[in-house]
Order: sequence, then structure tokens, then C-alpha cells
Amino acid sequence: MPTLVSYIIVSAALLGVGIYGLSVKRNAIRILFAVELIVNAANLNFVAFARYMNPPTVSGQVIVFYSIAAAAMEAAVGLALILVAFRLNSTIDLRKLNKLKG
Amino acid sequence: MDLSVPPDITFVVLTAITLVAAIMALQAKELIYGAISLAVSFIGIAGFFVSLDAPYLAMLQIAVYVGAVVVLILFTIMLVSREEVDKDLTGETGESAAGLWLAGLLAVSIAGIAALAGPNLPSTAPVGNLPISQLGPVLAGSYPVPLLILALLLSGALLGALVLAKVDR
Repeated sequence: MPTLVSYIIVSAALLGVGIYGLSVKRNAIRILFAVELIVNAANLNFVAFARYMNPPTVSGQVIVFYSIAAAAMEAAVGLALILVAFRLNSTIDLRKLNKLKG
Repeated sequence: MDLSVPPDITFVVLTAITLVAAIMALQAKELIYGAISLAVSFIGIAGFFVSLDAPYLAMLQIAVYVGAVVVLILFTIMLVSREEVDKDLTGETGESAAGLWLAGLLAVSIAGIAALAGPNLPSTAPVGNLPISQLGPVLAGSYPVPLLILALLLSGALLGALVLAKVDR
């Protein structure tokens, strides 16, 4: 079985990919992809740390259970918001959705 | 964990699948292929969960992420016009390089901290597996209130999404 550090490194790499997408992309749906990737990186860390505890515990899995439910909910609301934004502005380019700018 | 191939090869393959699919999800020319790559990346994470003795979470990951979230994303992509979906993948080149630096620095520093702390972290998992039957009592016995709040949150979010997406006639 791999060491705990290798799981943390994979998770950090996934976080890096997510942060890159979050900071560079302008397409609202792709921003949502990036958020989901970051949530998955966090979930992986929770499960890995809980498995390497001595004795192993299921508490990390319980937190990830909640996290998966919350992420699904967030995706549903986020996609509904994107649909509304598209209907009102006929664009999903986040640089153009700046009506709140004074 | 009793797989016919050595575990390290499983780990490397899962890592490659997850990371390559994650990068593809963000860089694919057409958004619909990006969504499918995202599903592949989620399946890779489910594989990690299996390797960490969390088969229930792996099942949940595939059912919720691949089954629900990605399908929802696919429907949204189909509802938004095609020209709008596939354009403006990234900002200007300077911005793109800055984002790459930011993400790289963050990931490398976290990985570096983990590697430095490596000697103090457990290198082998304790023996003994986690039976799925432990999960239920902890979920409903130790954390009942978060479970109820989660149920309220989910129904609230469902109603909110319905209200948002409803078309007034």
C-alpha cells in the first residue's frame, strides 16, 4: 500500500489543477468543473488520513459522505444559476457578467 | 487489499487517470468532452477510495458524481447555446501563465510540506480493514444532527434550484 505522503501529493496536484482552472477560465461551466475537482481533492485527503490513523477510523468517510451530498447540492444550484444568467444575458462568460459593477 | 497486480502499479495508474482526466476536463476544446473527462476523473477518485478500504464511498462517488452531477452538467451544456459553451476557454496569455504559476506554487508547496513531514507521518496503513457496517452507527449515532441539517439543506437547495430555473409564463 502506498504511503500517506503519496496520497497527499496526488491530492495537492488535483488541487493545483483546480486552482488553475478557477483562476484562468472564463466559462462559468468550467469554473464549476474546477470547484468540483477541488472538492474531490479535499475528499481524497479526508479518506486517506482516516485510513492511516491508528486504529483506522470511519470518521473521515462520514465527513466525505456529507461533503459529497453538499457538492451535489452545490452543483445543482450552481447550474441553475448559470442557466438563469444565460437566459438573462445570453452569455456565460464571467468577464461579461459584470452588471453589479458600479 | 488483495489485487492481482502489485498495489503500487494500481496507485500509479489511478494517479495518471485522475490527473490527466482532470487536466483534460479543463483544457478540452469542446465542453462536452470536458464533462466526460470530468466523469473519468471522478471514477479515478472512486478507485482511490477503493484502495483506501472505502468501497461504500466509491459507490457513492460513482452514483452521485458520475451519475448525477456530470449528467446535470451535460444537460446544462445542451441547454446553453453551442457557440456560447465552447468559446473563451482561457483569458489572455499573461493571465494564463500567472494562473499556472499560482497553481503550481500552491501544489508544490503543499506537496513539499507533506514530503518534509513525511518521516512523522505513518508510512504504512495500520492492518485491519474498516467494515462497511461501522459506517452506519457512526453516521446516524455520532453525528445525527448534521445528518438532519444536511437533509434540510438538500431539500432547500432542490427547491431553490427549481425556483431559479422555472420559466415564468
